[in-house]
Amino acid sequence: MIINWAQVLFNSAITGSLYLIGAVGLTLTYGLSRFPNFAHAEFITLGAFIGYLAAEQLGLGLPLALIVAFLFTGMVGVLSYQGVFQPLAKGGATIIHLMVASIALSLILRYSIGALWGWKPFYFSTTWSSFEVGPLRITSLWLWLILAAVSLALIMHFVLVKTKIGKAIRATSSNPELSLASGIQINRVILITWFIGGGLAAIAGIFRAADTQLWPMTGWDIILPMFAVAILGGIGNFYGSIVAAYIIGLAENLGVIALVALGVSTEYRIAIAFLILIITLIVKPQGLAMLFRRA
Amino acid sequence: MDPLVYVLDLIVFIGIFGIVSLSLNLEFGFAGLANFGKVAFFLIGAYTYALLSQAGVPFYLCLIAGAVTTAIAGFLVSLPTLKLREDYLAIVVLTFGEILRLIIKSEHWIAGGIWGITISPAISVVGVSARVSTLINIGLVYLCLFICFMVVQSLANSPYGRVIRAIREDEVAAEALGKDRAKYRAQVFALGSAIAGVAGGLYAQYIQFIDPYMFMPMLTFTVWIMVLLGGPANNWGALLGAGLVELFDRGTNMAKDYLTLPIDPSNLQYIIFGVLIILVLFYRPQGLLKESRVKTKALELVRHGRNSVKNKRS
Amino acid sequence: MEETVLRISEVSKHFGGVYAVSGVSLDMKGRSIWGLVGPNGSGKTTLFNTVLGFHRPDGGAIYFNDNCISKLAPHQIYALGLVSAFQIPRPFQRLSVLDNMLVAARGHQGDRLLDSLFLRRSWQKREVELADKAMEILELLELDRLASSPAGELSGGQRKLLEIGKGLMASPTLLLLDEPAAGVNPNLGRRIFEKIKELHQNKGLSFFIIEHRLEILFDFAHWVYVMDKGKIVVQGKPEEIAKNPVFYQVYLGER
Repeated sequence: MIINWAQVLFNSAITGSLYLIGAVGLTLTYGLSRFPNFAHAEFITLGAFIGYLAAEQLGLGLPLALIVAFLFTGMVGVLSYQGVFQPLAKGGATIIHLMVASIALSLILRYSIGALWGWKPFYFSTTWSSFEVGPLRITSLWLWLILAAVSLALIMHFVLVKTKIGKAIRATSSNPELSLASGIQINRVILITWFIGGGLAAIAGIFRAADTQLWPMTGWDIILPMFAVAILGGIGNFYGSIVAAYIIGLAENLGVIALVALGVSTEYRIAIAFLILIITLIVKPQGLAMLFRRA
Repeated sequence: MDPLVYVLDLIVFIGIFGIVSLSLNLEFGFAGLANFGKVAFFLIGAYTYALLSQAGVPFYLCLIAGAVTTAIAGFLVSLPTLKLREDYLAIVVLTFGEILRLIIKSEHWIAGGIWGITISPAISVVGVSARVSTLINIGLVYLCLFICFMVVQSLANSPYGRVIRAIREDEVAAEALGKDRAKYRAQVFALGSAIAGVAGGLYAQYIQFIDPYMFMPMLTFTVWIMVLLGGPANNWGALLGAGLVELFDRGTNMAKDYLTLPIDPSNLQYIIFGVLIILVLFYRPQGLLKESRVKTKALELVRHGRNSVKNKRS
Repeated sequence: MEETVLRISEVSKHFGGVYAVSGVSLDMKGRSIWGLVGPNGSGKTTLFNTVLGFHRPDGGAIYFNDNCISKLAPHQIYALGLVSAFQIPRPFQRLSVLDNMLVAARGHQGDRLLDSLFLRRSWQKREVELADKAMEILELLELDRLASSPAGELSGGQRKLLEIGKGLMASPTLLLLDEPAAGVNPNLGRRIFEKIKELHQNKGLSFFIIEHRLEILFDFAHWVYVMDKGKIVVQGKPEEIAKNPVFYQVYLGER
């Protein structure tokens, strides 16, 4: 079997980039609010649909659509926290209660989307130029995706290290009590984190939908690999999630080759992320966090 | 559909899901185990029944075998997860369920893959109407429900039930008092899974056809609502929750046929469901029925005074 | 010749290179009330937790009634009759006070799955015996009126007493208490110790007690060990310790 390694690596970068953008919000809110937010899947879906609405139905074009979706879904993230999770947590809800609430919220969002747009898949009408560079087949969409992920990593790094709010986020995720004592307004930090989380989910959703198709299960289809990234990278750990996203992207694409070589169905591709998820939780739940002390 | 059969059908489903609800109540309500992969064990029970029944094994053995295989699966899953925090356990078991579903979908040789597998009913009498065959199923299902209820209720009202509740409240303190929490966790998982496996088998033989798309995470979530709504750690509550949720499900399905609404009812149904769950979590998180007390002779002694029980012949 | 109850032999425990307990040896014989004192951070609680099986000793060995318990898990050590009550009480919140007590019983047949399902008659008898014993202890601790109340509703002082009550349910040979008089007013603290003394005199129970309220402890303990920086620096009868300059140095000295 002849393997186009260049393509495999490139594909890994694509998969990893998508997972990175989608998982950052998940890992940050999980780390901060201490429960797995399953509605994150629907933030992804919602963002994709808003993006579609803006780009296709309102004719605003894709770049503007990305911004609109980011802002809108960011707000939805904040409202979800303020309207559902924060009051429940204040009332003494346990992690499990919050998890169940997030699933309930995901139902509400998913089926509202289904009610508004229906369950037939949509497709972005943009045509993406596709070209060959040596052994690689590249589409411009994929280049944009990788560019977006890299920009995200750089911007977030800058924000976390150089800005006041970024330092506040890092302080709060590692030591909430101490940061409260040192005057950081925790509530503001939390709201901003949920905003960013929702917004980035939208971006991931749009890229995913543009690359494949758009339907109310768009987010749920990729949510478990996103959890794998969040957990492998260390819950709440931004830098860890960067590494984890590309590791899992690579593992999946290498896995596909292994599956083909073994004559096994490539449907098992997603099982690779599932297995990484389970094994990490069982063997080393903190994930790669020990490599990166600061969030 | 004949309205009477419709009602009888609802009763069968309440029975089947009542059993699954009891199993989750044992695991989560009493023992504090966040089993978010309930559907995986329901699936194992269903497919075990289906495959054995196709091979000609009599139905009661299929049900028992289903319970045994599911118990083993539950035990095996519990081993690596014994010390996990509740949300981690939930995610692991959820993912396990998805892997299982993926395997069945992809490996067609196991049980027909996405094309599913047909099962003949446990007890079939030639030439009877739908009403009678549904009644027969009600008999079978509720007999199993009765047995399962007796088992979990006996456990709840026993020192064993007391120990698993203590482990739920504070694992470390329980361990310090001599309770091997790994052992208890594994046992509860195995038993809870076995009960869910029985329900799976009953389900398979009742609807007579199963495929991987019938065992989605949504089913796990529905059972969670049954337990949370009815009241965790209360077996009657688990049954109550099962009844109410199934009623809601059927009710909204029926409304679909009779009402015209601006929103497609199948979407609306889930939206309302989600809203209701959040309302329950806000206003009645402990559920409808309170946690049941451990009712043993010890309780009697406290209630009626020390000498009254000591002097009674036991 | 008095039997050795607890023998700790050159036991050490470190965390990441820092020695919390370093070469501690003690030999407790007969039935008595032993005290363990020392400034904060001297390793007292770590020593207790190592004896109880929550930490593995990094060096040395621990013997309880001639059984080597260094490698046993907490629940196994409990089964041998070496029992403790938590410093910060850990009641099972939603269980009744009575249930809290009953869970503490050792070796209850009904704790086993199959026995619980099928041998109902048999364990019900034991339930009654244990409930009776539990009520007796609760009466002694003046908690009997609260037997049916959820443990979560108890006050701080009541929780401390319940914690000791749970320890007593196991009919221990030796009961380890970590600061039983902490966090309650001195009168209640003294009453707790009086109960301890009663239990020792009437039931022959032995106690090994960490305590900071030295004025109370010294009135009740028969023998006191003083720890500092992970080692036992001096030991003896309370009256003698109270006159020992090393003891004062340890408490008033710089950490």
